[in-house]
Amino acid sequence: MNVEDFFNLLKDAVLLAGIYAAMSMGMTVIYGVMKIVNLAHAGFMMLGAYFAFELYYLPERLPASWVERFPLLGHHVDPILGATLALPTFFLFGMGVYWLLVRWLPRSDQPTLASLLLMFGFWQVLQNAGYLIWKNEDRSIFTARTISPPLHLGFLSFSVDRLVVFLAAVSCVVLLQIGMKRSWFGMSVRSLIQNPLASQIVGVNEEKTRRLAFGLGASLAGFAGALLAMLYTFSPDFGSPFQLRSFVIIVLGGLESFSGVAFGALVLALVETFSIQLVPASYQAAISYGLLVVVLLFLPKGIAGLLEKKWRVA
Amino acid sequence: MKHGSVPRFAICTLLLITLLAFAPTASHSSTADENAISIGVVLPVTGKEGKPGQYQKEGIETAIKKINEAGGVFVRDQGKKLPFKVVFYDDESDAAKSASLAERCMISDNVTAVLGGYSTTLGEAESVMADRHQTPWITTGAGATSTFSRGYQFAFGALSPITVLGSDTAQFLGNLMDQHKLKKGLTVAMALENTDHGIDYGNGINQWIEKHPGYLKVVFSEKFEYPGTTDFSGLLQKVKNAKADIFLADAHLQDYITMHRQYLQAGMHHQMVSYGARGPDDAARKALGAGTDYIFAGLWWSKKLNYPQIQQFVNDYKKYTGHEPDSWYAAPAYESVRILAQAIEKAGTLDRIKVRDALRKAELKDSILPGAIFKFGPNGQTGYPFLIVQNKPGDKVDIVLPKQAATGDAVAPIPVR
Repeated sequence: MNVEDFFNLLKDAVLLAGIYAAMSMGMTVIYGVMKIVNLAHAGFMMLGAYFAFELYYLPERLPASWVERFPLLGHHVDPILGATLALPTFFLFGMGVYWLLVRWLPRSDQPTLASLLLMFGFWQVLQNAGYLIWKNEDRSIFTARTISPPLHLGFLSFSVDRLVVFLAAVSCVVLLQIGMKRSWFGMSVRSLIQNPLASQIVGVNEEKTRRLAFGLGASLAGFAGALLAMLYTFSPDFGSPFQLRSFVIIVLGGLESFSGVAFGALVLALVETFSIQLVPASYQAAISYGLLVVVLLFLPKGIAGLLEKKWRVA
Repeated sequence: MKHGSVPRFAICTLLLITLLAFAPTASHSSTADENAISIGVVLPVTGKEGKPGQYQKEGIETAIKKINEAGGVFVRDQGKKLPFKVVFYDDESDAAKSASLAERCMISDNVTAVLGGYSTTLGEAESVMADRHQTPWITTGAGATSTFSRGYQFAFGALSPITVLGSDTAQFLGNLMDQHKLKKGLTVAMALENTDHGIDYGNGINQWIEKHPGYLKVVFSEKFEYPGTTDFSGLLQKVKNAKADIFLADAHLQDYITMHRQYLQAGMHHQMVSYGARGPDDAARKALGAGTDYIFAGLWWSKKLNYPQIQQFVNDYKKYTGHEPDSWYAAPAYESVRILAQAIEKAGTLDRIKVRDALRKAELKDSILPGAIFKFGPNGQTGYPFLIVQNKPGDKVDIVLPKQAATGDAVAPIPVR
């Protein structure tokens, strides 16, 4: 491998890490605050992908008379805008799911079987609803960027779509970090993650924070799904490989640390991208899950736990 | 910051996922009827193979409707015509379910024969049941040779082997070299899914190259995981580094779209590109637009074939389903029912062993499949030629090989975008 190849692969890994981080943050928020492993994460991502798809192709479904009367309706909604709109939409949807289902779960400082079953069942409901609405067809979003030639920066070449998705994902992650550090809600979330009892003593409204956290987790999953729709085809069973990767990433990151998730995403992306230069591509999944086993055995608190020994993260 | 107990959490989660993944699910079924010929159909109409499975189911149902409307199949030892009755199960694209449902058809539903098994993975799972329960089984959607290399006596395959797809692909490239559209001695990079399908495809190409020295040289060949690969950038970087003239991949539809999207976004170009049996699929053309132009593929069937019986099939299919066949999936499934009907009529009985023996000798001489003759080989698998098609601008698709069925000339090399 020459220097150019190395840096091109490094660039690919960083671009991949951006989207990996965005798709894992939602799972971390929900786990951190509620100790619920959101197995419906893939379902939210699938809905996010269809949300962006439906918005993009809306002009083709509207009656011609509407488009004539309101020419603005004739324009495609760019998937990036679709992803942005997914944030508030899925936030409300997530809060609705919390109100309807999640709030009845017994509280615990460990994941409970009831929560795993509930979220898995809800994922199946979402998936089957998807089959009813959109049928079992592979869909994708074709924009002007989809097959545009790559941008060149010296010897580095950037796929326009991947770059746009990366920038959107990283912006979201950075804004989330800032929000978590500076807003009252963010501080409430962090305090609940660190010490639920003490946070209630100092006045954190646990129920409200849990509801908002679930909404935030769902909105981040919807956002990630809409971004992934720009890069991949999707059908109602979309999301499983990404959910598994999110699981690996949050374990790598230490389950409850936002910075840890970013590190975990980067580590997984680097391992996946570079490992197949040394071993056949068919071992890619084995390497990813091998990494999970190694972390579980030797770094049970994830990368964040390792770093915490030297400095406080998140 | 407090951290959770990761191992306990992880073990609980993985255990739950594993348990739930193997939980049984309900499927529609009906039981055998003495005044009908019960045949089992086990196909995926949900899950990742749901769409091709649905098309194959429609192909089977179209044939059954046509046969039943004509009074059914004459069964000599009963002295009358009997209609087909289908016992259908959706295996939800799950290999374990596919095998157990095929077994259920053979044991509990007491069917005369079982049709199904799309794709190779699900077909492989079902195939072991045929000999175990001495029931003729025709796979409508599994083309890997491994299924038919184990000496099974009750397994039949309606798809030409994937090795033939590989060798016909290489033959097409060889023809282009003979026509001086491509130079001889070009190099090939291959990216193959890590399944029997992918292995057979690569073997077919390599076998042709061995038999025809001087045409092609493989400089890179690697397998990727199926299913589960979400990103092909590392693999494509290796393909790029191989600096080959031709890129040949074998992939399922979703992987084909994802890989080719990343191929285009990386600014890659080869003189010829193929994704095995993928190329003209509607979903890919919608997903990548002009990016799929000039990709060539080997197909088991096309409605553009110029046989008179094709139009009749297309009309019947459209009448039954409300839409024309937009891919090859329905045709082998349709022909599987017709050849089974012929075998039962020749056997004159619903005895499974006698039907199996008749299937070995059965031959459709008015087949809608390429070559117009459909029969099974000594190992149970059919062996009709593939159609090589090439995508053209404006969503056009031409048959470019065999010559007598060609609807247009092959464009080679692919113009630089």
